[in-house]
Amino acid sequence: MRPDDRRYATSHEWAKIDGDSVIVGITDFAVDELCNGNEGDLVYCDLPEVGRLVEAGETFGEIESVKAVSDLQAPISGEIVEINPVIEDHLQVLAEDTWGKGWMVRIKATAPNIDHMLDAASYEEHIAAPH
Amino acid sequence: MQDSWRLITTWGTTPEFNMGLDEALLLEGDQPTLRLYTWSPDALSLGWFQKTSEVSGIGSASSTVRRLTGGGAIHHEGELTFSLCCPQTHPLYRGPVGPSYARIHGAVILALRQIGLPARLRGEGSLTSDDPASGMCFHHSTPLDVEWNGRKGVGSAQRRKGGRVLHHGSIKVTSTPLEGNIATFEQATESHTAQSFAPLLLDHMRQHLGMHLIPGVPSPEERERAAELGARYTTDEWVHQR
Repeated sequence: MRPDDRRYATSHEWAKIDGDSVIVGITDFAVDELCNGNEGDLVYCDLPEVGRLVEAGETFGEIESVKAVSDLQAPISGEIVEINPVIEDHLQVLAEDTWGKGWMVRIKATAPNIDHMLDAASYEEHIAAPH
Repeated sequence: MQDSWRLITTWGTTPEFNMGLDEALLLEGDQPTLRLYTWSPDALSLGWFQKTSEVSGIGSASSTVRRLTGGGAIHHEGELTFSLCCPQTHPLYRGPVGPSYARIHGAVILALRQIGLPARLRGEGSLTSDDPASGMCFHHSTPLDVEWNGRKGVGSAQRRKGGRVLHHGSIKVTSTPLEGNIATFEQATESHTAQSFAPLLLDHMRQHLGMHLIPGVPSPEERERAAELGARYTTDEWVHQR
């Protein structure tokens, strides 16, 4: 069961309230789709600059595996106030510690509300459902 | 239930149109679309994350673009290009990325074998066409690429955005000075151009992938969107963004 201390997007980002901001990452499902268990297949991640304003649903960055470039979608609107420095030098952290050290960006929103996103149980149903 | 795909074929279309339409179909579409196309004029395309400094051949082709997809540079001349655009939930693309390549390349392999080329997925190991110093896609191979006679002859890449996927790739018919030492149709048992090979590929996509192909054309809205998007692909700002 995935952590229930955060919410999930159907596009496989996760978001966790931390004080007055929201930390965003991607789920293990997303990582596995990209590299199918081969962490070395994660090649590059392009994250936004601090200070950039993003709208909910807008692409805030891209991640490249050996065979695909995938867009990363902002779950909420706000300002990018921090990016994870570990990712640039050690992209495999996304697979090694998806829910902790593998965070990507911190977004400061006027109202950090992520209630519109899926809870852990709903996300499990989403990824398990035949489409 | 049939797996219906709209089929759009365009021969000798511009780099701006080719890239613009691929992007337009990635961004939205009410039906899965398969495209087969060739390029005129020829063009060098850089991968999405590729640095221009990594490509020594920049300026050598008639046109230069930067693709939405990753990987290395490709000289689009003497090749049949294919692209597929559909939702990520489509059975051909659902799940891990790797197997989706095996599915599509499987149909390509069968068509290549039909003309006498011993094509297969590269799998483990390297190829004689590999050259670490080259920025060209066909000089870097991965297990899911298609090779024959020890050289890479088909490469493809995907962009996933907003729940949709664009998967496009190049099937090399002939080589160019920018892409020397790659696999081509030279040793095929029957002579083919990109256009004459296309029907064979389509037959195998029907049979191997279960596709029901319906010939069509871009709608006026798609054409307009493709033109709008395509215009930026050859600009210095777009090409030299890295």
